[in-house]
Amino acid sequence: MFDQAQMKCLYALLDTIIPPDDYPGAVEAGVGDYLQRQLAGDLAQSLSSYKTWLADLDAEARAVNGTDFADMTQQERAELLTRVEKGEVKARWSIEPAAFFREIVEHCAEGYYSDPGNGGNRNGIAWRMIGFEVTG
Amino acid sequence: MSDYDAIVVGSGAGGGVAAAVLAEAGKSVLLLERGRDLSFAAVGRDHLRNQRMPVYGHNAGPDLDGNPRTIEADSFPILIGKPLGDLRLLRPHEPGYQNNAACVGSGTRVYAGQAWRFMPQDFRMASEYGVPEGSSLADWPITYEDMAPYYEKVEWEIGICGDHQTMTHLPRYDKPYPMPALPLPYKSSIHKRGLESLGWQTLRVPRLINSVPYNDRPGCINCQQCVGYACPVDAKNGSQNTTVPRALRSGHCTLQTEVMVERLTCSDGGRITGVTIIDVAGKRQTHTADVVVLSCGAVETARLLLNSATKQEPTGIGNGGDQVGRNLQGHYYPGAYGIFPDVMFDGVGPGCSIATCQFNHGNDGLIGGGFLGDEDIVTPVTLWKRFYPPEAPRWGIEAKRFMRENYRRINDVTGPVQEIPSPEARVSINPSLKDRYGIPVVHLSGTSHPETVRTARFMGERAKEWLLASGATQVWGRQMPRYLSGGQHQAGTCRMGEDPATSVVDPFCRVHSQDNLFIADGSPHVTNGGFNPVETIMALAWRTVENIVKRW
Repeated sequence: MFDQAQMKCLYALLDTIIPPDDYPGAVEAGVGDYLQRQLAGDLAQSLSSYKTWLADLDAEARAVNGTDFADMTQQERAELLTRVEKGEVKARWSIEPAAFFREIVEHCAEGYYSDPGNGGNRNGIAWRMIGFEVTG
Repeated sequence: MSDYDAIVVGSGAGGGVAAAVLAEAGKSVLLLERGRDLSFAAVGRDHLRNQRMPVYGHNAGPDLDGNPRTIEADSFPILIGKPLGDLRLLRPHEPGYQNNAACVGSGTRVYAGQAWRFMPQDFRMASEYGVPEGSSLADWPITYEDMAPYYEKVEWEIGICGDHQTMTHLPRYDKPYPMPALPLPYKSSIHKRGLESLGWQTLRVPRLINSVPYNDRPGCINCQQCVGYACPVDAKNGSQNTTVPRALRSGHCTLQTEVMVERLTCSDGGRITGVTIIDVAGKRQTHTADVVVLSCGAVETARLLLNSATKQEPTGIGNGGDQVGRNLQGHYYPGAYGIFPDVMFDGVGPGCSIATCQFNHGNDGLIGGGFLGDEDIVTPVTLWKRFYPPEAPRWGIEAKRFMRENYRRINDVTGPVQEIPSPEARVSINPSLKDRYGIPVVHLSGTSHPETVRTARFMGERAKEWLLASGATQVWGRQMPRYLSGGQHQAGTCRMGEDPATSVVDPFCRVHSQDNLFIADGSPHVTNGGFNPVETIMALAWRTVENIVKRW
């Protein structure tokens, strides 16, 4: 589905959207698995947009920082995404940067906060963090 | 000689009652359901695909593929579905489709089971308020007093818990509810204090849930996944575990699932003789009956009548007055959300326990109103998508901390607004588009009446007041644009009345133009109350079918 460079960029992105602290970040919680399942199913039509957006994100990172997105520090990645979210970009994007970023954020939250049966929220870790417990 | 005494189309709230009352009276009944008989496991607990949060699909039907509808682009304020010429093409889980579950029990399989009697004023809205311009507001031809004995039957025979002494907005109950109200979650006790501090009426929400063991099934275990899902211990009372089993136990009812009714069949003289059904393999079959009862929901019942045109009724059965499919209504749901300084969430489900009918009627300059109540437990991803403060961070460490700190502090109150019917809010047929069975699909058009929106905005402000009185430190509301409303509370498309020129069924829900065709769902509702309509659908079905049996 994704090549190695795209995966590296995607996972860095997911962990910037929901970073690790004393609870797992998006990737450790399985959001990558959620997303790949969705992009092979309900969200299949978004796969090419994901690939384009990720390539553009790397181009943006190189234009701003001289490195790939994944090789930036957590802080630098967050700052870059803050600008992307406002549409303040330096590279030439072939997809609208801000609108699709909002979609990715939504997908990431779906994986992290929905039921573990969807592939993310591994062992209900996100629910434990926020205090949602299933008792019956 | 007919194959059956009666055919009932649809096994939801109305169809279940119809099948049970007919079969227990000894009539042979064929109960038809287009969906499947779904187990608890088959309904599942997918937080992104359920009747409450259908992001990518549903858990109780209909199937996403092969069941399209079309809608006018200007019937909905946001761009929905896919373009199809000037129209939009919708799948069942998409906004605007006006879906109801398709399975044995229909919506009652996965509902919250809020069990409200309409108020006496709800049956005479035109007399109480006059008729605003552009609306078809009218009185019901029957009264609360006609309905009260049947409300009581539903409460006792299907099983409703509650506290009748708190229902001070209604005439005194002859009998209490058979089960006490569900235990109060912590947040409901806070909202109760909020209401009391405002001096607003405070009641315990009656629900079609066993609060204690009842009818040979256990009591509620207060789980966190009630509305939108099936009950893990079968304590939620829907048609699938009450009226449908009663019908089957009588020995007089045959249930056939996964069959779609293509059309009503009729004699040369135009009298209804039965139905033609199509199964999943595409095989057609005709069943005859002396009586046919339609319980397909307000959208599909109208569709079936319109798709059954005859020589005598060329625009559809019962459509001589051009009324079938008009006056589609559901409920606007104004409400407000708030953040509380204390943790509100204690995990005690289902959640909606406290409400007020302070604003159902008598609001200065407004037509009707609705109740406001607290909410069933909101799953984390639903809170993220629907209950999140507009200014709160959406990504990064701040967003994660926000969810962690506030999931259990965010809480809301909400409620249905009595809609002012419009004849232009309408179900018709799109003759150029067919479903998987080859049957022409529903076309939706029109929008809500401005008076509905006005009342909804007023109720949204009352919701904020309540939250602030309960101690919320920050409150926010939701947008209330005009849009075509129907959804799971769909009603009104075959309204009840004395005059065939302005109504579709008579005061016993018999289609005016036929002596053996009846409707038992939300379609006959002239207005839909400021309440969840299911107890009224069940009670009205009971009254209708008891009358059929009495006159047989």
